[in-house]
Amino acid sequence: MGFTSFKKTIKKDPFMADSIWKTYKLNSEKDLHINIGDLHVWIRKKDEEIWVAHQYSGELNEEEPEGLEWSRWAPKSIEEIRIAPVFQDLPVIINSEYPLKVTKGSSIQIFSRIPVWLQISLANSKYVLTEIPSIKLSRTWFGSPQEGELCYWLSTKARRSLAGVENKPNVINCPIWISNETNEDLDFEKFCFRVERLSVFGVKEELWADETKIEYNGEEQHSDVTMTGKLPSTIGKGELMSKPRNPVSKSFATRTFKMFFDDAHISAR
Amino acid sequence: MDSTSVAADSTLFSLSQEAFFSEEFLALSLRIAVILAVGFPILLIVRGWVRSFVSKKYATHYGMLAGKVVFHVGLIILVITVMGQLGISLAPLLGAAGILGVAIGFASQTSVSNIISGLFLIAEQPFKVDDIITIGTSTGFVISIDMLSVKMRTFDNRYVRIPNEMIIKTEVINLTKFPIRRFNASISVAYKEDVAKVREVLLDVAEKNEFALSEPEPIIVFDMFGASSIDLLLLVWAPKDEYIKLKNSINEEVKARFDKEGIEIPFPHVSLYSGSASKSIPIEISDPKNQLSAPENQDTKK
Repeated sequence: MGFTSFKKTIKKDPFMADSIWKTYKLNSEKDLHINIGDLHVWIRKKDEEIWVAHQYSGELNEEEPEGLEWSRWAPKSIEEIRIAPVFQDLPVIINSEYPLKVTKGSSIQIFSRIPVWLQISLANSKYVLTEIPSIKLSRTWFGSPQEGELCYWLSTKARRSLAGVENKPNVINCPIWISNETNEDLDFEKFCFRVERLSVFGVKEELWADETKIEYNGEEQHSDVTMTGKLPSTIGKGELMSKPRNPVSKSFATRTFKMFFDDAHISAR
Repeated sequence: MDSTSVAADSTLFSLSQEAFFSEEFLALSLRIAVILAVGFPILLIVRGWVRSFVSKKYATHYGMLAGKVVFHVGLIILVITVMGQLGISLAPLLGAAGILGVAIGFASQTSVSNIISGLFLIAEQPFKVDDIITIGTSTGFVISIDMLSVKMRTFDNRYVRIPNEMIIKTEVINLTKFPIRRFNASISVAYKEDVAKVREVLLDVAEKNEFALSEPEPIIVFDMFGASSIDLLLLVWAPKDEYIKLKNSINEEVKARFDKEGIEIPFPHVSLYSGSASKSIPIEISDPKNQLSAPENQDTKK
């Protein structure tokens, strides 16, 4: 499947028409209210401006509570707005609830489910107004105290199959192949998933990411990571809903499994 | 004044005026003006270009230093060129500079020491421009690293100049060298509290704090049995830019959560015992009549 335009995608796929992932015409008399998972978003057209506010269910008291923190934009012209599913703006550390040992020379497929972000943009100019996480993830550090990178933190079950798993509209299913190319076992507990290089596809009533292949080359070596750009053949055909944020290259070598060394266990002061 | 002297004066005036406005003098002045008018702007442009190039390629303070070197070398070349135009020979000047240099050297030992310390600072690179450092009692942003001194802007917007020699000799703490920082929150709870429950509550507060990082994971350390409390350390990490936000928010959240959970944060108190700690203090109530009679007895004794 090629990188077709979003508008074209919406018209072709009936799922898109029913879901929240589409373009909306704003009405100055009534706010647009979008709800996905725990996230509630209100979009208002007022005095030639676009106003956006959001809240999570835990914080919500009424249907449209007072005291929302609104953000305002004054575009060249008020046009249709587009809501698209996107990945996080930072890599995500996937923490498996139950550690798994990948024995030497073996390959496994796992599925991680990553909470989606809502991207609100102007439909014609594609100017991005804001992006809102459907679930707020905490942040974490991947690397050493001297150098590393900021990531989001997500505990998942790292399932081997999604059969019988309840479909949620606010998660993206991510198929990942992990190959252990070394002569030692890989303790798969956490890994750095570079989601900013992934596309989002709509398949039936679900969101899917393209397949990622990770080759583990040893603790001290970088892993080879490949974003295939395609859905696994078993999933079927999907429609592209958003392109990768950072489509630098499909294949790269990066630190994926090595984690942080904390010296607090030696001395707290 | 006689007529002879008046005539001599007028001749001298006309001669000097002639020499002053001679064609040769005007041409020389024009040449010098052109050299300065063209050379100086070029020097400034080259300095700016070198500073920007080196800053982008290496670091801001290397860029500032390279710009200064280029500017001063260019300025010396300009001065030598102008002196050449004026017909001033450099040889006697250099000879005089040699003798003068010895004298100045003795007089400016501190400056030379600062310059050499500056070179060590540049080579060692303990901090860069825009880093936040603590030297002595001053903490602030590094504005510039120069040959003689480092300039700093403190958070209450004061300008601090620290001689390079002093920086080499004293302890310098760079607060922004590394990307993440740990906040050590000292938390005291009353002896009656269940430490396991307190630990659970503190870890939950850290997990929910928006600035605290999940990894490196927050840690609780049993610090000591204090005079009036059990002292714990809550060690939480945050990105260096959010350290203060973490410090403020987590302390507030711990206080609010302790209040909610009914966990007591004790204040220093002293228990008084008479003899054994297991026995209460014996109180003896005396007869007020006896108390009144006592002074009378004392008076009688007198």
